[in-house]
Amino acid sequence: MKDITLNIDGKICKGTEGDTILEVARSNDVYIPTLCFLEGLTPIGSCRMCVVEVENNPKMMTACTTPAQDGMVVSTGTEKLRDYRRQMLELIFAGRNHFCMYCSQSGDCELQDMAIAHGMDRVRYPYLYADFENDATHRDIQIDHNRCILCLRCIRVCAEKVGTHTLDLQKRGWNATIVTDLGRKLGESSTCTTCGACAQVCPTGTITLREFAYRGRRKDCDSVVESVCPLCSVGCRIKAYVRTGSIARVEGTAVNEPDGGQLCQKGRWTLPRSAERERISVPMIREGSHYREATWEEALDLVAKQFRKAHEADSDGVLVSSLCTDEELGLFVSLFKDGLGMERIDTFDGDVLRGFVKGFEPFRKQGVRPFTAAHKILDSDCIVNLSADPDEEAPVIASYIRVGVLRNGASLVNISCSPSPFRDITDVDAVTKTPAENIRLIEGLAGMVEALKATGGDPEKTVQVTAAEVAEKAGLTEEMVVKILGSLMDSKKPVFVLGGCLSRDPATVAASVNLAIACGAFFDDGIGMVPLVVSGNSLGTINTVLADEPWLGKKKLDFMYVYSTGLVPEDEASLSAISGSRFVVVQCPFWAHPLVNLADVLLPAPAWFERSGHYCTIEGERRRLSVVIPPKGEVRGLASVLKDLSKDLGVTPEKPKEAPCGNLFASEKPPAAARMVSLEEVRD
Amino acid sequence: MALYRAHVLVCKGTGCKSSGAAPVYDALKEEITRRGLDKEVMLVETGCHGMCEMGPIVVVYPEGSLYCRVTADDVAEIVEEHLYKGRLVQRLLYTTPEDKVKIPHYRDIPFYKKQFRIALRNCGYINPDNIEEYIARDGYVALAKALTAMDPEDVLAEVKTSGLRGRGGGGFPTGLKWEFCRRAKGDKKYVICNADEGDPGAFMDRSILEGDPHALIEGMMLGAYAIGADEGYIYCRAEYPLAIKRLGVAMAQCTEYGLLGDNIMGTDFSFHLHVKEGAGAFVCGEETALMASIEGERGMPRPRPPFPANKGLWGKPSNINNVETWANVPSIIREGGEWFASIGTEKSKGTKVFALTGKVNNTGLVEVPMGTTIREIVFDMGGGILNGRKFKAVQIGGPSGGCLTEEHLDLPVNYESLTAAGAIMGSGGLVVMDEDTCMVDVARFFLEFTQRESCGKCVPCREGTKQMLLTLEKITSGKGKMKDLETLEELALMVKEMSLCGLGQTAPNPVLTTLRYFRDEYEAHIKDKKCPAKACSALISFVIDAEKCRKCGICAKNCPVDCIAGDRNTPYVIDQERCIKCGTCLEVCPFQAVSKV
Repeated sequence: MKDITLNIDGKICKGTEGDTILEVARSNDVYIPTLCFLEGLTPIGSCRMCVVEVENNPKMMTACTTPAQDGMVVSTGTEKLRDYRRQMLELIFAGRNHFCMYCSQSGDCELQDMAIAHGMDRVRYPYLYADFENDATHRDIQIDHNRCILCLRCIRVCAEKVGTHTLDLQKRGWNATIVTDLGRKLGESSTCTTCGACAQVCPTGTITLREFAYRGRRKDCDSVVESVCPLCSVGCRIKAYVRTGSIARVEGTAVNEPDGGQLCQKGRWTLPRSAERERISVPMIREGSHYREATWEEALDLVAKQFRKAHEADSDGVLVSSLCTDEELGLFVSLFKDGLGMERIDTFDGDVLRGFVKGFEPFRKQGVRPFTAAHKILDSDCIVNLSADPDEEAPVIASYIRVGVLRNGASLVNISCSPSPFRDITDVDAVTKTPAENIRLIEGLAGMVEALKATGGDPEKTVQVTAAEVAEKAGLTEEMVVKILGSLMDSKKPVFVLGGCLSRDPATVAASVNLAIACGAFFDDGIGMVPLVVSGNSLGTINTVLADEPWLGKKKLDFMYVYSTGLVPEDEASLSAISGSRFVVVQCPFWAHPLVNLADVLLPAPAWFERSGHYCTIEGERRRLSVVIPPKGEVRGLASVLKDLSKDLGVTPEKPKEAPCGNLFASEKPPAAARMVSLEEVRD
Repeated sequence: MALYRAHVLVCKGTGCKSSGAAPVYDALKEEITRRGLDKEVMLVETGCHGMCEMGPIVVVYPEGSLYCRVTADDVAEIVEEHLYKGRLVQRLLYTTPEDKVKIPHYRDIPFYKKQFRIALRNCGYINPDNIEEYIARDGYVALAKALTAMDPEDVLAEVKTSGLRGRGGGGFPTGLKWEFCRRAKGDKKYVICNADEGDPGAFMDRSILEGDPHALIEGMMLGAYAIGADEGYIYCRAEYPLAIKRLGVAMAQCTEYGLLGDNIMGTDFSFHLHVKEGAGAFVCGEETALMASIEGERGMPRPRPPFPANKGLWGKPSNINNVETWANVPSIIREGGEWFASIGTEKSKGTKVFALTGKVNNTGLVEVPMGTTIREIVFDMGGGILNGRKFKAVQIGGPSGGCLTEEHLDLPVNYESLTAAGAIMGSGGLVVMDEDTCMVDVARFFLEFTQRESCGKCVPCREGTKQMLLTLEKITSGKGKMKDLETLEELALMVKEMSLCGLGQTAPNPVLTTLRYFRDEYEAHIKDKKCPAKACSALISFVIDAEKCRKCGICAKNCPVDCIAGDRNTPYVIDQERCIKCGTCLEVCPFQAVSKV
């Protein structure tokens, strides 16, 4: 890339070839006003606020779209430009309903800021009093078309980042409005995922989220805390706005981040709403069918007493949520595993993770990282969905897949026991009848791709396995197998999204990685696998609390210690094992039913917004969970509770190991060095 | 091949068809067969002759006699008299409006006399559904010449020599445009034909599409060869069903003759062509919006640069020209760029087709060399103003064009002269206005069109044209203030300079030119609350002259709101409060007692 030099308003500005005038200006601290522009979205030059004058060019150029050229002389603030910009703002204000005093976004509005910055103290044109019907049909999101300036940011984010294309533009000229699903109301939309990205990028009060309206302007908030969403394995970064001690809104980061700065409906709503949930505020002890309040001393004494007894009888167990941070997991390990030598410690969904670990183990041993950052799906030209249901498991992954297919032109292959969740955009939908056929298909494909690549794609030479044989074994038609092969062979950079349900079976995991290796799915950070493991820190549990062998439900235990974050429901198997235990201690921030009903002692715990620590995400980053609001009342941090408990138990746990997940699945060798393995290695 | 002693050409263009060409054709066929002339006389369906006002048109060769407004009832007479007895049917011949002279020969009609046809050379002359007729008129000779004897660079050079400029509006040099695309990096390139003719009243592109589709196809192939493209799109508005049908037939015939597809004429040149139907948005005539529409997106323009020559359809280098431009190319390659450059003016070469409409005697399509004056077009070819009224203005270039006055009548028409006068060549719409036309209302009319057709993307066009329109409506309804003119002008200049695409950049032209040349009319609306042309209904009233009124009561009987009172003994009087100014009384009064004031 060539360096270029521009003269912007007399200032010498350095840039790189391919930059726009706006990019060069911004990187050199020259201010050019913008409204429709948002970094990370395709610039459209529609608001005309960023027009500049370029020497020897009679036309007004929009800085956001015009490529900068070496030697360009640019003026950004001539009197004519200032007049035009003010005229533009006046036209916008005259056009629709921009009466700030009635708008929930007043003070939090880019249009308002712009008008103030440009000294727009009057509107010289008659107000047109737009009267578009507002759309308040959606439970969470409302659209007031009368406040819309048609910057099209929402449409662009919906298409370019979320990939649902729910929003578009209808009608012409002055009557143009945002439209949902070709004319349906937003509440009746079949494509909207309620992720709220549209509202996040809206510069005015057009698209607003009911719950956050009047809760505090972004600028007026006491603090904005960057943290991480613990709800699924992607671990999206969030910004939590705090005002007067409560969470006013939760948003994703900027859309120009490599991962799109997205948030799904889980993160957008569950997190702030959880701050309103009923809390377990003091320790409680069961008395018959009731709980009575107790002091921490009394509760912990009781817990220690019951625990000691059960521990001596080897009838104790600990279940820890995988939404805990690395640091919290470390505390559990140092007390229960290292301090007390307990075997029965595990996380919920341990079975999924054990299969996952076992399946990936042979590749980890080779020194390659067997998966890639989730957002690399966007770099792929062929996305293979292996029994995943991303819209349920990790909705942001579903966005990556949709954007990958619809915008980047990737093909989409579904290899599952159920039809593709991406019904209309799937190129090949290979549905096998049984999981056994599914694994045979993956195995067969890996073999065929390997053979085809070895022979340079000459089908004549591929004799060992034929598509017909693979089809036969998988219970599919030969045509279907050939179609999958075609997609895989045509792809330069395929990526494989592994559904959580497959992770239970190590052989399927290994077969999938084999297929990825055969296809040459190599990304700069690892093999092109995106495993949808259960929750925020599932990866972190792997070398901490995750048990080597399953124990849950194998024996009726006398004592069970359960630590839940109360954010995701517990699975049936765990609940039934817990209810079968004689004495149950539940530590949880919320009255999370049915879990709390099973407890003999209830201990308060800090909620996600009161804790800090790190998550090991499938994005490949160790991300920090930060305290958004400090805990109040009797809520105590895990470290202090466990410290008291260990004192009662008479053990002195060692200091937890630092960053337990830090070097898990580290990349020592480039992914291309990976070799396929025999499935026998991982089979039980 | 059978030889015929006479050819009967029936125009089946959209204009003639709507005035009843189909029954005429059927009747002719039946009558010719019935008389046993079918071995001697050949009946041919052709495209448009341009003089649609006079349709349905039937031309009989070898005489070259043109019959106007033929009906099925006239057919027997034409066959009997002309084809059987060799006598012209006098009553159907073209008659000059002023001195009522019957003109027997096609070429002697003033409307055609001054025309010079390059783009329209085959229109009305050949059967557009028959490729052989096109080939017989030297069709595909240029393509053969280019593919076998010329390098792409030679073709490019020839077009550059010709000085051909874009006929769709901007007038950008075609050869230069091709060169940009040819030089652009990319393994895949497209050529596109803009056949989304949206200017109200303009139909030259439709005539070519319907009358000579092969000229367009050949032109596009020559362009593709010069540029290095192997695929093309014709973006044709869906409101042109006949054009789309004929394009389909022409393309199928080309494929059959090996003129479309891979290895055309046995050379390495391959070309694939598609027709994409537009959904009726004026803005899709803008090249970037058009390409977005082909891609399946909402037809909205995007800022340039990047220009289509570098990043066009699906991000690939693309060259887009309109129908008329492409249709000129085969003649240029066949006859040579120098020949083309010898026609026209210094900077505007060749010819231009105009759609002559409005208050003029002969309306229709005329193709004239660049540099022809407006007077020649309006008075010589157009036959002057309808009903002997006085010429007032001519609006050139469609809704984005401007209004020119009497002082511009001797202006030689070319790109530069029109732009200097405040109008544009545009696609060549030419609307003649007489003294009954209110110029403020004209500006309002065109602005209403452009603001309705604005895509709504950029602020100046979306909000600015709306505000301008409201101001004009205020003025035409008599509520304007002098300050409004200032606001209007200020807005118009801003919209012109700040809009994203050509639509917005030219939308203020009708306002700016009328403000420039007819400011007194605006002032009359505002200061005197009068419409000098008596066209703005809010500013006029109908009165009955008591002297002239014969008390017949016809006006009262026809008044839709029953606001005229009177009886056998008292003259009729219009109640101005209730009058809706529909003008019915004026029309029905047999004694000219009603007048507009």
